[in-house]
Amino acid sequence: MDNFEKYVQEHKNEFDEHKADREMLWAKIEGDLPEQKVLPLWRSRSVGIAASLLFLVGLAASIGFFARNGATEQTQFVDKELIDIDTHYMGLVSQQIELLQNHPNLSQEDKKEFLGFINELDAEYKVLRLEMNKNLDNEIVLEAIVKNYKKRIELIENLLDQINGSKIIDDDYGYTL
Amino acid sequence: MGPNIHFTHRTLVEKCKKGHRNAQYELYTLYVDAMYNIGYRMLGNKEDAEDIVQESFVRAFKNLETFNYDSTFGAWLKRIVINSSINHLKAKRIPIVPLEAHEFHLTEEETVVDTEIDIQKVKKGIAELPMGYKQIINLYLIEGYDHIEIGAVLGISPSTSKSQYHRAKKKLITIIKTL
Repeated sequence: MDNFEKYVQEHKNEFDEHKADREMLWAKIEGDLPEQKVLPLWRSRSVGIAASLLFLVGLAASIGFFARNGATEQTQFVDKELIDIDTHYMGLVSQQIELLQNHPNLSQEDKKEFLGFINELDAEYKVLRLEMNKNLDNEIVLEAIVKNYKKRIELIENLLDQINGSKIIDDDYGYTL
Repeated sequence: MGPNIHFTHRTLVEKCKKGHRNAQYELYTLYVDAMYNIGYRMLGNKEDAEDIVQESFVRAFKNLETFNYDSTFGAWLKRIVINSSINHLKAKRIPIVPLEAHEFHLTEEETVVDTEIDIQKVKKGIAELPMGYKQIINLYLIEGYDHIEIGAVLGISPSTSKSQYHRAKKKLITIIKTL
């Protein structure tokens, strides 16, 4: 490399004497580029993790809150509803069972066999009452309890219908809560 | 041993590869003036230089996934600008190498400049060179390319690049002496 080349290379930066119109050029460049890849927030891994954590924290806080405050009210509400259901259906079931037991056209053996099914349903009912204590989803359990009562009443009614021939019981009690 | 220079602006480049517009703009601002000056030197006017810079950045961003840090991002981008400029000149049918018969210099002549060198005169002298000589002087003296690289860019052999460079330099010094 001779003196001339050395001199030019040492002063290379002085050849950069022009300034680009940055904004104008960028506007043109941006116009030619594909649309920016926008990652939906819900698909972003970090946002997803943050959202999950937030959800868990919120869930824990909600559980804590209801455990301390709301749960008492809810339990009281459910308990009251269960008492209402029991009062309403237990009386009906007892009445039906009494009718069955006093029916003159039904043998003691048949009565015993049939009441065995009713007792099985009663055992299920007791399991459902225990489920209520776990406080998992009281509405579903309550619904199951009502179905259990209705099934017992329906079975007894069907039997009484068969015994009484074509007699139609018009009462539709117990099927609406 | 310091960090590998090829990975300069790696974080920014990786974001650009993913299409992040802000990162693309940031990288653009780092290099736009340098690239604009290269384009200006190669093409000699503002309008063509702007066109080349625009085209080069768009090509660079669209093909960034092919950039594997074999060089710095700046060197990679500079190559795009230079190639685009050469293609631009070819499209305009402007000769990118001198039309004189090529000759091979067996001995490298030591250039003697008896007067004090002035950078402004050098700039003026380069501006007055024929286009073919101008390209080879720019690429070798200012852009720092060697004759193998120049040969690849201009589509000539390294030896032709070398001989043409010596002719160009001789011509440049003659012009400078007259200024």
